Amino acid sequence: MIQDKAQWLEEASKKIKVPKELIEKAFKDELDGNPSIDAPLEIPDIMDITYKYTYGGISRFFREIRDNKQLYGTKCTKCGKVWLPPRINCNECYTPTQWVKLGSTAGIVTYTIVYYGTSVFFGKTPYVCAFVKVAGADTLIMQNIFMEDVKKARIGMKLTIQFKEHRNGDMGDFWFVPAQEEL
Amino acid sequence: MNKVGIVGVGTTSFKARWLEKTYYELAYDAAKLALEDAGIDKKEVGGVVYGIYNEFFERQFMPDVYIHNYIGMGLKPSVRVATGGATGGAAVFVGWTWIASGLYDIVMVLGVEKATDNYNYTVGHPTPETLKAILFSGDMTFENPMGLTAAASYALPLIAHINKYGTPTEKQMAMVSIKNHKNAMNNPIAQSPKLLTVDDVLNSKMITYPFKFYDNCLYSEGASAIILASEKAAKALSDNPAWITGVGLSLDKAFAGERDDITVFTSSLYAGRDAYKMSGIKNPRKELDFAELHDAFTGAEILSYEAFNFCKPGDGGKLIEDGVVEMTGDLPVSPSGGLIGCGHAVGATGVMQTGEAALQVQGRAEKRQVKNARVGLVQSIGGPATAWTAAMIVERQDKIKGKVVKGSRAKAKAKVKAKAARRKR
Ligand SMILES: [Zn+2]
Repeated sequence: MIQDKAQWLEEASKKIKVPKELIEKAFKDELDGNPSIDAPLEIPDIMDITYKYTYGGISRFFREIRDNKQLYGTKCTKCGKVWLPPRINCNECYTPTQWVKLGSTAGIVTYTIVYYGTSVFFGKTPYVCAFVKVAGADTLIMQNIFMEDVKKARIGMKLTIQFKEHRNGDMGDFWFVPAQEEL
Repeated sequence: MNKVGIVGVGTTSFKARWLEKTYYELAYDAAKLALEDAGIDKKEVGGVVYGIYNEFFERQFMPDVYIHNYIGMGLKPSVRVATGGATGGAAVFVGWTWIASGLYDIVMVLGVEKATDNYNYTVGHPTPETLKAILFSGDMTFENPMGLTAAASYALPLIAHINKYGTPTEKQMAMVSIKNHKNAMNNPIAQSPKLLTVDDVLNSKMITYPFKFYDNCLYSEGASAIILASEKAAKALSDNPAWITGVGLSLDKAFAGERDDITVFTSSLYAGRDAYKMSGIKNPRKELDFAELHDAFTGAEILSYEAFNFCKPGDGGKLIEDGVVEMTGDLPVSPSGGLIGCGHAVGATGVMQTGEAALQVQGRAEKRQVKNARVGLVQSIGGPATAWTAAMIVERQDKIKGKVVKGSRAKAKAKVKAKAARRKR
């Protein structure tokens, strides 16, 4: 039996970063019931780790987005393939690539609409998740399409890029919206 | 290469939550069942291959090392396989190579997953955290932030396929759901045995377009083990072993935006081609008696019919409409209920499916037995946009050349035991 419920809730809340009320609800049986000594015992926990990670050779891709609102791909110096997501070498030719400016339009190659997401996406569903072909790129990149009515998403839909006002240097800095002629 | 037999099968119940067992306790239960089924002691096992997918599920990195200890296999060879949803199948593939190479006579393949110990306190249910744990398998820079859930990962190729061929229709997909939930009613370990109608499926809640609630498999907890044996050991241990006569493993481009054709489950096409070639199967539609496919989502099963050449691309939906893949059809798919009916205890799933295929060809599948099941296909899919496929062909004893010489079994068994004893440290 938990000796001091208030203290147990206090410590649990601090440990897993969840409000006490929600923990109390989840552990009602353990806190208020009278479970037998052999009953399975559950424990609140969290797996957490902080980072300061590097983008390595593709750092410029995110600096161009953050600082200049410009999308870049990389072009293989041998076969000429333009990669997006960018990569600093070509996996076909095993040769270096160079940075090339890409356009601000794109098209949906395939998509889906997510109605039930992870806890990170609470309040953001439904959203459109698509593989899009950006003007100037040879490969497809996965992006979210922001639109009033997600049911209007379709393969072949023309898109325009939009940038976030305050950009952080990550994939959340830009997204696509249906182009003017699609509206 | 040496022949590889299956001489023991053991699977725990697949259920939403095993509150009364930890992952290594579940692993122990499956190991014990499989050893008993094979009629051997753990001392006779040459090594163990573990199939465990997700560290966040188990709340443990390197969970295999603790299982190896817990099930009393200390100092024996061991390796863990983690290939997303294909983990179980890929573990069987690796176990197969250990026998085929002649390294060991008896190998245990043990898959386990504790998928729902995580918990989302806001909704009072594990699922959002389970999905979050899976999403760490999406490329962390480019795809994880886009909210690519497992369902979305399958929906992207599927919608491209529907756009190209007009199939599968939502009704065809609903029919797969109905079939697999119904098949599960014959499976005592299944999580979701149910009788459903087309309307039940079509009217269920939209999860990820075009998948409704009943188009999805559910996350399960459970464990499954099989005992693989060399020809010599298999014949010593059983009159009626199942044989894995073909294997294939393929990993497609994980950045699916680089693929030539997004409408095809290309890794299944390649893994299937290799497995068929090894088994000498030329016309799978005619030569296969059943298949256990990776129906994580209904549409995935239909695209798999096409990837495995049961029919032409675009014709998969017709196979369910025509009843071909029903228990009463001539190529029943997922008699176990598959992932949708039996459940998806990720690392255990492919092992369970391979064990099911063995039970089928051995004539031990009880109420879900396919009549005269001689040859079956097993598929295990994992990774972003079905990047990974492991495929196995499981065949019945009398399909294999070479007969057991009467009276030689006891002798052979003694030899195998002696060899195992020598290896015991
Ligand atoms: Zn190149």
